[in-house]
Amino acid sequence: MHEIKIAEDLSAIVLETAKRESLSKVTRVNIIFGQLVQIVPEIFEYAFRETVRDTIANDADVFIEIVPVKMKCIKCGNDFLVKENRFKCNVCFSTDLDIISGKELFIKSIEGE
Amino acid sequence: MEIKIMKNILDRNQNKADEVRKLLELKKVLMVNVISSPGAGKTTLLERTCEELGEKFRLGIVEGDITTDRDAQRLKKYNIPIVVINTEGGCHLDSHSISKVLGYFDLDKLDVLFVENVGNLICPSQFDLGETFKLALVSTTEGDDKPDKYPMLFREAKAVLLNKIDLVPYTNFNYNNFRSDLKKINANIPLFEVSCTRGDGLKEWFDWITEKINNFQ
Ligand SMILES: Nc1nc2c(ncn2[C@@H]2O[C@H](COP(=O)(O)OP(=O)(O)O)[C@@H](O)[C@H]2O)c(=O)[nH]1
Ligand SMILES: [Mg+2]
Ligand SMILES: [Zn+2]
Repeated sequence: MHEIKIAEDLSAIVLETAKRESLSKVTRVNIIFGQLVQIVPEIFEYAFRETVRDTIANDADVFIEIVPVKMKCIKCGNDFLVKENRFKCNVCFSTDLDIISGKELFIKSIEGE
Repeated sequence: MEIKIMKNILDRNQNKADEVRKLLELKKVLMVNVISSPGAGKTTLLERTCEELGEKFRLGIVEGDITTDRDAQRLKKYNIPIVVINTEGGCHLDSHSISKVLGYFDLDKLDVLFVENVGNLICPSQFDLGETFKLALVSTTEGDDKPDKYPMLFREAKAVLLNKIDLVPYTNFNYNNFRSDLKKINANIPLFEVSCTRGDGLKEWFDWITEKINNFQ
């Protein structure tokens, strides 16, 4: 249900940006979610619709890109996709890792006129 | 026309969390964000922890509760400062509500602040409160598949408590599955297998958290 709060914060950013750029209409919102954040796109989209009802973003399409969980091995530098929750380098088997992607809750851009 | 934004949607929450973290570091108050499903035993863990550490350290508690103050009532007897945040249906605490309630505590007279988050394994993991670290609590009656289902929390947490081990004989909970799934997700995370009602395993938890509090001073 965290979809609701995230949708509220998103709509605030969308409307602020649209205002600053003097848009009269927002036609599309482009979002990136990491797989780890477990957002359900349908619920998110529904929640977003509710928060922008009767605003200039009322009819905006929501485009959600889900990015996979990707890590970098600190020991050997190998980049790899995490499959089945295995957070372990597939080259040297180290578990000392930095995250490259998978935790995003990003707004990429908006489109409008 | 496309307008690039490229920023974290939860920027506002993140900025406030960074502020809280800085303040608590300055005041040397360790903040633990306790996350679990409803009924896993967060309040019971805090009861045991107050009993054990209440004399040694200056504790404070923030109770995230959807509508009531029942958990705070249970903890009142320990005579430590407690503040309740009612989320009015909200499924998690956020850094703005934490920042507000910090004003009710005398941070100069506090060593550790436990935050009982709202019962839920997904939402609270996304909202940084400015905590020193997150603690994941799961109970055996929920099944052994929680790490695999909610990897984010088990990646982010600094330690895991597996509670209600006294009930394992009555469930199909499989220790090996649980331990190996957890290890797969977070190889070096400390795991405490406890019963907060019977007392099993709590000494290891007390020792660990004592060391964390001492190191933060
Ligand atoms: N059998 C057993 N029951 C427990 C244990 N820890 C907590 N409980 C019970 O589980 C219920 C929910 O605990 P509570 O601390 O309120 O969970 P919370 O919702 O996470 O704060 C209560 O009835 C507790 O007495 C335990 O280790 N073993
Ligand atoms: Mg509770
Ligand atoms: Zn490697």
